[in-house]
Amino acid sequence: MFLHQIKYEWLQLSRDKWVSTLLIIFIALCLFAANNGSKKVALRQAEVEASLAVMRAADSDFKANIDSVERGLKTVEPWLNPRRLNFIGNRAPRVAAMQPAPLAFLSTGQSDLFTHTIKPTLYGESYVLSFGELSNPVQLMFGSFDLAFVLIYLLPLLVLAFSYNLLSSEKEQGSLRLTLAQPVSLFAWLFNKMILRFFIMTTIVTTSLILALVIAGIPIVEVFSSVLLIVALVTLYIFFWFTVSLIVNAFGRSSGTNAITIISFWVILVLLLPAAISQLANSLYPVPSRINMIHEMRIAKSDAEKVADTILSSYYRDHPELAQRDTTIQNQYQFYLGYFASQDVVKKSVAPVLEEYQTKLSAQQQFVESFRFISPSLLLQNALNDVAGTSSRHYDSYRSQVVAFAEEWRAYFLPRMFNNEWMTKTDFERLPTFTFHYGQVDSTSSADIVGLLVFAVLTFVISSLVYRNISRKVLIT
Amino acid sequence: MIRTIAFKELKELLREGRFRVMAFVMVALLVVAAVISKNYYQWVNNQHVTAKENARNVWVSQDNKNPHSAAHYGTYAFKPKYSLSLIDQGVDKYAGISIYLEAHRRNDAQYMAAQDQTAISRFGDLTPDFILLFIIPLFIILTGFNSFTSERENGTLRLLKSQGVSSRILTGGKWLGLFIAVLLVIIPGFILSVLLLGNVQDFGEFSIGALAILFLFYLLYYAVFTNITLVVSAWAKKSNIALVSLLAIWMVACLGMPKVANRIAESMSPYPTQSQFVAAVQEDERKGLDGHNPFSAEAKQLEQETLKKYNVDSVQQLPFNWDGYLMQKGEEHTAEIYFKHHEQLKTTYENQTSVYRVASVLSPYLPTRFLSMALCRTDYASHWHFSNAAEKYRIMMMDKLNMHFAENSTYGDWDYLADKSLWKDIPDFTYEPVTYSQILSSNLNNIGVLIAWLVTTSLMLMVSVKKMSIL
Repeated sequence: MFLHQIKYEWLQLSRDKWVSTLLIIFIALCLFAANNGSKKVALRQAEVEASLAVMRAADSDFKANIDSVERGLKTVEPWLNPRRLNFIGNRAPRVAAMQPAPLAFLSTGQSDLFTHTIKPTLYGESYVLSFGELSNPVQLMFGSFDLAFVLIYLLPLLVLAFSYNLLSSEKEQGSLRLTLAQPVSLFAWLFNKMILRFFIMTTIVTTSLILALVIAGIPIVEVFSSVLLIVALVTLYIFFWFTVSLIVNAFGRSSGTNAITIISFWVILVLLLPAAISQLANSLYPVPSRINMIHEMRIAKSDAEKVADTILSSYYRDHPELAQRDTTIQNQYQFYLGYFASQDVVKKSVAPVLEEYQTKLSAQQQFVESFRFISPSLLLQNALNDVAGTSSRHYDSYRSQVVAFAEEWRAYFLPRMFNNEWMTKTDFERLPTFTFHYGQVDSTSSADIVGLLVFAVLTFVISSLVYRNISRKVLIT
Repeated sequence: MIRTIAFKELKELLREGRFRVMAFVMVALLVVAAVISKNYYQWVNNQHVTAKENARNVWVSQDNKNPHSAAHYGTYAFKPKYSLSLIDQGVDKYAGISIYLEAHRRNDAQYMAAQDQTAISRFGDLTPDFILLFIIPLFIILTGFNSFTSERENGTLRLLKSQGVSSRILTGGKWLGLFIAVLLVIIPGFILSVLLLGNVQDFGEFSIGALAILFLFYLLYYAVFTNITLVVSAWAKKSNIALVSLLAIWMVACLGMPKVANRIAESMSPYPTQSQFVAAVQEDERKGLDGHNPFSAEAKQLEQETLKKYNVDSVQQLPFNWDGYLMQKGEEHTAEIYFKHHEQLKTTYENQTSVYRVASVLSPYLPTRFLSMALCRTDYASHWHFSNAAEKYRIMMMDKLNMHFAENSTYGDWDYLADKSLWKDIPDFTYEPVTYSQILSSNLNNIGVLIAWLVTTSLMLMVSVKKMSIL
């Protein structure tokens, strides 16, 4: 019976030219989106590569220069001497790059807001590094046409187009009376109709995704578990929308009314609810004020600068390990050491302001993110950004990893400067390097998938309850 | 006759439960969005007032110090929010809020709100512009998609035609009926915004004229959507097809086109990344403005010229401190470099804008979006205007500080401390926004495109109703 029904449904669907047109449009949109995504990722990758290439070229110049100066072939102004550690620490910064994650093309996420190549220098203050990317805000406002957009916004519409008249069309054609005269459960019969469409949709979406991955040149085997995760997420999302449609169908209205009701659901769940949640969460718990932070930071800075000039001696008191071992010669870095010492004083008073801000901000962001469990679209968005490595959490982590690296950079040079050493060619191999660790970012995808599962199960249970309590008479008349 | 049809349409709509629910939801959404935006606006404004005072206080309460140290300590310019931003937040979230004004560097605005928010906020915020630009057109479509198709399906179209109702009158009546239904939602929203805006304390003047023009642009936008809805309804055989086609049009116009235009704009004239921009500026600073006069050589030349001009043989004999003077020249030089690079950036931005203009031909949403932001002073052009004003102030400030140093100290006297009265002598940063007439004249294209949309869709409506089949 089941197979029989499926077979005839399939025949019916395959002869409908609307169905094939919609599916082809959807696949085309997926590929266009995937292409957009990969172009963005390629640009990001190229930017990182270019920065690294510039750095390497500069490194070999510095090495050559050090060689010439060491051999006395060349004389340079003392403040341009590449053998000086402070010169290298400041002029030969490492590129702290955030390489795109393998599946970054899936979702632009927050990646258009932040820069991916930071070069912390020795003189710079790690806590005020700017992570903003230069961009046209209109571009940011309109957002990008990526796979995440197609899956979150357009996929539900496709599902709805497939199912809005699941029951009503049978009713309008008069075939419902005939069917209900047979000994079949209405829900089981409708569910079968739905399941077939669900399988078609899932197959099409999975195929499009795999096609997109192949076109984007991503080795699927290496990211197999992530691909499985995405397929699972999308499948749940499709299932959720089908059951929503099933519930709407149960009320036995005309196809036209169903379509409007379902579209309204889409508008509410995909457009209004996320916007309202974002607004609500941010007004319940506002983002801490940057403006106040700037003010506090400036007060702290001006207070600290007043005392900063008198402190090199107290710096030695705090860091006896840094005192020069050979005390018979004058330290060539005397001036810079004083500068670093005073910088530390300023940092000690300014950094807490920023740290406090960052803590408050993280708490606020966590609060806002927890609201995603109200909407399946938000859950899917969060999960996709998570897999793509473009979520807010990834950029938070990038910030803290870079700040830690900036400290490491300083820690490499400072003790050697206190010891009055020179930079040598071979030291370049020993310079600290930065690699962004995606592993340090906690993944939320399991929570997201559970959230989506709850939504899917919930709507499924509701739909079966609705159909159990529905009177057949209401449906037929 | 037109009036009779319009009246009948309206009466029918008002009796329909679906319409009443939707209209109520629209008004409710507008009210909620307006109230939330008002609270947000006041919250931001209060912060702004304190921040502006704080920045000034911090600046004037500096101790006696070297003018150049003060220049490095710098100050902040905060971007004001104008009362109409209550209606359209525009790109505010994606443009920074404050600019750090310091020696030697033109900084970009820092701390865009979007960076501090999570990805949820990328879905948009429930603000009036969101409702006005996205949801109301959808409301028009859902209300009017079956204007003609249902008459055809019920067979009443044939009746109407047999009574000799001309297609012009029928269209006019249908159009008015639908448009008045939209007005029923919009007018309460407009009145509410006048009341809210009247109540809000703001920096700039609240101009009821600007609000009225904004309202007019939105009416044009809705007239375009009313036309499109009726065109499709006249063309489609069945209500379902009309609805699906209209939704597809809405998707393309409001969601698809802006993103596609983004893609084209980005590939045609890409923005430099932050690190590319910084590298280009540094490169110019290193090799001099035109690439052929390194700064140190230029400094030597300037020294010779100045010595000749004052007829002395060494910088010590000059009537001012050469260090301060040289620093000022250096400042002017870097300001020029920054100017050059920002002009290049501006060209890129204008090229991108022209892509959006072309895309406006396929989407009435785009010209309306740009007009609305422009009038609310939350568009990118307003941001540029502010950024330029801040830079102008920075140049003036650096000039005063350096020249004070040059005129009041002697060569080599880096220990010179200026009296703290100097900080007060530098006037506070004040910002005059772009005037409304300037806004309108720089947006003539958008206005033109919107009117062209209205004219074209009206013509299409006339043609399609004439050709409409009654069966």
